[in-house]
Amino acid sequence: MTLKDDNDLVTGPGAPAMMPRRRFWLLPLGLGLALVAPGARAQVDPSRAGEFIRKTGEELVAAINAQAPIGERREQVAAVLRRAVDLDGVGRFILGRWWRIATSDEQQQYQRLFEEMLIRNLSSRFGEYQGVRFTLGRVQARAEDDVLVSTIVERPNSAPFGLDWRVGEVNGQPRVVDVIAEGTSLRLTQRSEYSSVITRNSGKVAPLLDAMRGQIATLAAAEGR
Amino acid sequence: MRPTRMFPILVVACLGLAACATPPPASDPESVAEFNALNDPIEPLNRVSYGVHNAIDTLALRPAAEIYRTLLAPPIRTGIRNVLSNLRTPVVLLNDALQGETQRFGTTLGRFVLNTMLGVGGIFEVATDFGLPPHSEDFGQTLAVWGAGEGPFLFIPVLGPSNPRDLTGFGVDLAAQPLTWISGSTALENAMVVRSVAGVLDAREGLIEPLDTLTANSLDPYAALRSAYRQRRAADISNRGETGRADATGSAIGSGLRR
Repeated sequence: MTLKDDNDLVTGPGAPAMMPRRRFWLLPLGLGLALVAPGARAQVDPSRAGEFIRKTGEELVAAINAQAPIGERREQVAAVLRRAVDLDGVGRFILGRWWRIATSDEQQQYQRLFEEMLIRNLSSRFGEYQGVRFTLGRVQARAEDDVLVSTIVERPNSAPFGLDWRVGEVNGQPRVVDVIAEGTSLRLTQRSEYSSVITRNSGKVAPLLDAMRGQIATLAAAEGR
Repeated sequence: MRPTRMFPILVVACLGLAACATPPPASDPESVAEFNALNDPIEPLNRVSYGVHNAIDTLALRPAAEIYRTLLAPPIRTGIRNVLSNLRTPVVLLNDALQGETQRFGTTLGRFVLNTMLGVGGIFEVATDFGLPPHSEDFGQTLAVWGAGEGPFLFIPVLGPSNPRDLTGFGVDLAAQPLTWISGSTALENAMVVRSVAGVLDAREGLIEPLDTLTANSLDPYAALRSAYRQRRAADISNRGETGRADATGSAIGSGLRR
């Protein structure tokens, strides 16, 4: 794993976070598996990716700015995210090498908590994003399978900032696989953070799940429901 | 000082304080690779510094930034930010030159002239309307462009996340400020103090929400800051992801995040 340059990362779902030199003999085996793996990602068409982000962005902005109680708006945003984000792939990427150490029960719990945390994190910031607007910038096909769609996000009384969306193709559909705010990738930052929690708890996944549960409870309490 | 020459000093500091992180055993290559990628050999000491920083921030920096926000209306704060950023322009200009970025050098020079003359000493940001948007440079980035490695991650109370390269750059930028060397007049010395205090207040005020969000949403804010800082610096060095925003203080106080 490298934190210096996200371009170098292996990003396929379930792909190893990094390939130690000593395990090169595993490479042919890994490639064989990748070829038969279902749901493998293919290059997404750039114009389709741009259109997908425009539509998703408009849906998100409409949900955030809607005149509805917070619980309702949160449900709307959650529905958009479930449709648009490769939650499975992103969740696995963030857990990285610890995915293989986790039991299948822990994996399931983790994916559920990961989804809820993403939605709660976003809904806790609805106030901050009231009146948000965005403009679509350039769309670049990347060397890997992904397409990077740039947007500029504008909020009232606040300087505009650049938000890039990394779009991959999952099972024939475009899906968001990462969000990059001013050069900082959300999934890389979160992977570093989760790995740190697990490492500091003697390499166990359960304490991370506990921390996630605690975090969700805190966010829910702060929101008042 | 070159980052490589900092290394023995850090090793001695490590031994003295027993502050080094224990590297994982060589039998676990994945852990070893992650340990190396994190680039944080003195993590225990850095986490202590982070704790100290948070205490200072909670007691002094954040409350001061809140007061600054309450007392001054948004247009006045924007004016102050513009003046601070204009005062920093000579340093950006120097680093553009040192990196051989002729086009960016021209942009910075044009910005300084326009904002100082038409923008009334830099209070108003007029250069952007003339097609000269701001960008940020510092000597840490110049060192990186010259091929210097970042060195191990450091967390410095009040200053925030850094590394030997960026810390050296911070010192050089400070020394390169024309105002640093002008003395003999009490008025000028006072102006220096006012400028430094305003810089800290402006930087911290702009980070109230981003840092609150990070602390509230993160399971390990230290790890999140470390990762965000290193990614952000990599983007800065390659001049990626710029949205045309000036940087009033150079190194952002206490975070490495951007407003």
